[in-house]
Parts: sequence; structure tokens; C-alpha cells
Amino acid sequence: MAIAGLAYSQTRFFDEDIANFSFGATGWPRAICLLIALGATCQLVYKLAGRGEEAEEPSSATGAATQDGGHRLAQRAAIFVLPFVYLYVTPLIGFYVATPVFIVALLLLLEVRSPLVIAGVTGIVYILILLIFTRFFYVALPNGRLDGFYEFNNAIIAIARTGL
Amino acid sequence: MDLFFGGTLALFGSFHTSLIFALGLVGGMLFGAIPGVNMLTLGAVLLPFTATMDPTEAVMLFSVIYCAGVFGGAITAILFNIPGAPENAPTCFDGYPMTQKGEAGKAIGAAVMCSAVGGVASAILMMTATGLVASFAIRSFGPPEIFALIFFGLAVSASIGAKTLWKGWLSVFAGLLIATVGTDPVAGVPRFNEGSFFGLQYQSYYLSAGIHFIPMILGFFAVSEVLAQSINISKGTRERPKAALDFPSLAEFWRVRFTMLRSIVIGFFSGVLPGIGATLAAFLGYSQAQRWSKNGKNFGKGELEGVVASETANNSATGAAMIPLLALGLPGGALTAMIMGIFQIHGMEPGPLIFINSSDLVWVTFAAMFWANVAIIGLGWVQTKTVVHILRIPFRWLAPGILMLATVGAFGLRNLMIDVWVMFLAGVVGYFLRATGYSAAGIVLGLILGKLGESAFAKSMQLMDFNLLGFFERPIAAILILLGLAAIVTSIVSEIRGKEIQKALLD
Repeated sequence: MAIAGLAYSQTRFFDEDIANFSFGATGWPRAICLLIALGATCQLVYKLAGRGEEAEEPSSATGAATQDGGHRLAQRAAIFVLPFVYLYVTPLIGFYVATPVFIVALLLLLEVRSPLVIAGVTGIVYILILLIFTRFFYVALPNGRLDGFYEFNNAIIAIARTGL
Repeated sequence: MDLFFGGTLALFGSFHTSLIFALGLVGGMLFGAIPGVNMLTLGAVLLPFTATMDPTEAVMLFSVIYCAGVFGGAITAILFNIPGAPENAPTCFDGYPMTQKGEAGKAIGAAVMCSAVGGVASAILMMTATGLVASFAIRSFGPPEIFALIFFGLAVSASIGAKTLWKGWLSVFAGLLIATVGTDPVAGVPRFNEGSFFGLQYQSYYLSAGIHFIPMILGFFAVSEVLAQSINISKGTRERPKAALDFPSLAEFWRVRFTMLRSIVIGFFSGVLPGIGATLAAFLGYSQAQRWSKNGKNFGKGELEGVVASETANNSATGAAMIPLLALGLPGGALTAMIMGIFQIHGMEPGPLIFINSSDLVWVTFAAMFWANVAIIGLGWVQTKTVVHILRIPFRWLAPGILMLATVGAFGLRNLMIDVWVMFLAGVVGYFLRATGYSAAGIVLGLILGKLGESAFAKSMQLMDFNLLGFFERPIAAILILLGLAAIVTSIVSEIRGKEIQKALLD
């Protein structure tokens, strides 16, 4: 309901008439918002009538959380937060610097403790990305905006494309 | 028949052509299997090189990539819950639960056989009925019929993967709403790219380009799966699936023969229609299999029939997609548009005359698509016996690779970090959707068909002078809309009555 209401309210910013199309630019999105509101009402009625199965089943996402200690909760929160930290820093320090750090952090979060495995997995994934996407497909991955990192990322790209 | 044998001889008569065929097959399968990098990527990379190739070999190469690419995406869908392409999304519903039950070999075996059967059947239909089917589809299917077909497709597929009917519909509506971000299809008015709520202003020119479905698919399936498994690891509840190598038995295939036949018909007719193609075919094939199966309640829990339905239907669409291209010069999708480009690079014009002027080219293409689908059995069998061993690698070692592949795939689409943000946000949303019974597949279906549906609706309204009842004045559109409405009514009734029966049993 909230999503439908919010989206409907935003349609006023593009409420323009279109020549030869009487529904305008807002007709279709508004109809969908109303359908979402209708669907949500049906789901609510359905649940209030005691027919929603999920009312009886505790959510697996929240059910076990309360049984664990703070360490586990922090670990789970970090699993969700880490990708967004990676996304935030990648344009700044570049893909080729941020990626190995991200992989190592993720492996540690997934309770991998063997240095050999951490080095092996990080190395294999990194080299495969360099070979497939940087060398062969020329994907223009972010090379960083900060001084120093920009040059370092470009150096790695140059090494990956040696001989081409 | 002579023409087909002639095409086959030309295909395998020279080492050079055979080599191109083999490379196209392996390349298509590999690119289809890597999420974010699909057969279109391979096609785009190879397209410039076709200028120096013989046109027959170039068109043949792209046709083989098309057949193999549609199959390739099933492997990662089954093993890791990551569809290689949108048309493999319904394969996840039962393929991945089968992997979790230790039946990965069976699921991949079924995908191999059914992709091959669907593709071969489609190739045979393409060879025998190209002219007939093309003229019917183009004469009879205008925007109102396409809108009606999309409505019907959504009506019968809405509840796939959701806990309740309403949650299924809400998921589809959410996908349709996301599809409206960008520009409107009639006048190009920007939508949802600027505004304000609670006093906060926002503006993003990235949103003017719309939200692409590839990052959403990668997020909902790949990222949310990695998150779910990572949480299971932190809880200590994750069980590693067994890497079983069993191939489905002949008896099991015989049991699902009607599902295969139904999916071939659905896939073929969906594939003929421009823009609809393999994705709707796979969803329709799956939903109809669930509807008519004796084991309908087991769908989504690792039912072989679900994999059979989805993979047969999406590969059946491959041959059909070539029909409007060859017979009328109308490409129905991105890869067929690339094939159209090859024709133009070589100064040729696809259309009815191509069957007279370049008969050799047409029959080599037909033969290549036929044999590519046959070859899928052999290559797929080898994959069944080899790729499944990936499951022996601990998931925590694979997770970084899966995430990085998805990240580069989402970024590489348009070289935009916003696509990677969308992917990770969709991953987090997808994780909670799973826990609350909404359907990620429904959102993806709504997103893919939303733009196409709105465009078809707008054109229909202009054609019918804004008379909504005009749909009922066109027989095919009327039948499809009535069938869609019937599907909605029966699903609502069965949802309510089903729960009443369940409640009575509990009481």
C-alpha cells in the first residue's frame, strides 16, 4: 500500500498530456498503482480472515536471529553491508584495488580461516576476471578517482592487456 | 528432404564449416552458462568479424550460438539458482531444489534432453512450415493480439513461485511498476527520474534509461542466493548438496511426454511472435505444466516435470524465432537482429525471396540449427558428468566468484555502477521476498513484459480509438483475454476453496 501510494504521488511530476494518446504518460503507471493497492487489500483481507499460511509460520529470516549472540548478529549484518561498502569505495579506489580486499573480507565473513584457501580463491577469481573481462572483453571497469589509485588500476589494466 | 541433406552435407562437408559449427556450439553453451555474459555478448563480439566471413557460415554460426546459448543458461540455474538468461528463470524453481535434494545430475540430464527435443521439434517445424506460420503470425498478430497474449501470459503465470495468489500478483505488479521507470513508450516523457517525497528532492538521469532486467535477475537470483547461503553458513545450517550424476531414466521421460508436447507447442508459437520469445514461452510452459500435472503441488519443491516444461518450451522458441526473420525480414529479438545485420553487411535482404535467391544459405542454417540441438545431447551429457562436480567445492569458496561474476555482468551491461547498485539492492530485497513468500520470478516476469505490454496497449488504444471493448472485436485477442480472465477467476476460486478444504481438514 505504501509503495503504491508513494509511486502514485510521484506520478504528478510527469503528468503531461500526450498528443494522440489520451491516457497521457501517467495512465499506465497509475493503473498499476491502483492494481497494487487492490492486490494488497486482498492480501490483507485474506490474512485477516485467518487464511494466510505465513501467519502460523515464523519467518526463517528473523526466527533464529534472536537465539544467537551478538557476534553472529554482527556477522549477518556484515554479510548484508559489505557489498554496499564495496560499491561505495569501488569508484573511488578502483575495481582492481577494491576487489581483492572485498573477496578476502567476504571469505573471512564466511568463516574461511586457511590463509592458503584465502590466497588461492582470491588469486583465482582475480586472475580470471583480469583474463576474461579486462583482457578479452575490454570491459571498462572503474579505475578509481583518487590520486594514486587511478594510476595503480591503469597499471594493472596495462599488465592484463600485455601483448594485445 | 533433399534440401535438408544438401544443407547437412554443406555443413559437415568441409572441415572449416564444421569447425565454425563446433566453436559456435561450445561458445554459445559457455556464454549461456555464465551469468551476466550471455549469447548476446558473444554475438556482439563476433559480429564485426562476420564481415570477412562467408555469409552462409556467418548466419550458421549465429544460429548455432542461439540454440546452444538458450540451453547453456540452464546449467547455472540448476546448480546455483542463477539463470544464465531470463528464459532460464523458471528452470530455477525446480532445478535448484533438485540439486539441494542431491538430484543435480537428473535435473541437468532432463534439461539436456528436453532442450534438445524442444529445439529439434522446433527446427523441424521451422523447416516444414516457415512460410505458412510466418504469414499467419504477421497477418493475425497486431498490437491488440500481442497485448492480449501478454495479459494471458501474466494471468496464468502470476502465482509462480509465490506463497499465495495475492503475493504472486503483487510481485507481478511490482515488476510492471518498475518497468515504467524510464520513458513512456508513446512520446518519450521521462518518468520517475525526478520528484520529491517528504520534502526530499531527487533527480537522476540514470533513471531516464530505465531499470534493466539483467541486474534485477542477477540480484534476485544470484545475489540473494549467496546472501541466503551465507546466512545459513553463519547459522551453521547449510547442507552441502550431493553431486549425484544420475541421468533421468527413459521411464521418467515417458511419464512427462505430454508436458514436453505441450511445451513444444507453447514454445513454438510464443517464439514466432516478435519480442515475446523464449522468456514468456518458458513461464507459460511451466505454469501450464503445473496446472495440468498430477504432481502440481510438488512444483517448486524439486519436481522433474518443472525442469522439463521450462527447458522444452524455451528451446522450442529458438527455431520459431527464425521464421519471421527469414520469411519476412522481421527480427524478433536481439540475436535475430544481429543475424539481420549479417545479411545487410553482405548486401542481402531476408524475406520471401531469400528462399529462391539464397536457398543454400537457408538450408545450411536450418540444418545447423537441427544438428546443434542434436549435438546438445552429446555435449550436455558430458556436462552432466563433469559440471556437477563443481558442487563438491565448498560454497564459501564459490561465493566470491559468483558475486564477482554477477558484479562484472551487471556493470558490463551499460558500464554503469548504478546497475551494480540495482543488482545488490535487488539481492537484499530478493532475500526478504523469499522469507515472506513473494515471488522474485513474478517481479522479473512483470519487468520483462511490462514495457512490451504497455507499448502494445498504447498502440492498440490508438488503433481502436481508445475503445477498451475493441479487444473483443478481434477474435484472437478476444479469446486470449477471455482465457486470461478465466485463468484469473479460476485461480482466485481455487485459492479460496483450496484453503477452505485445508482448514476443514485441520479442524
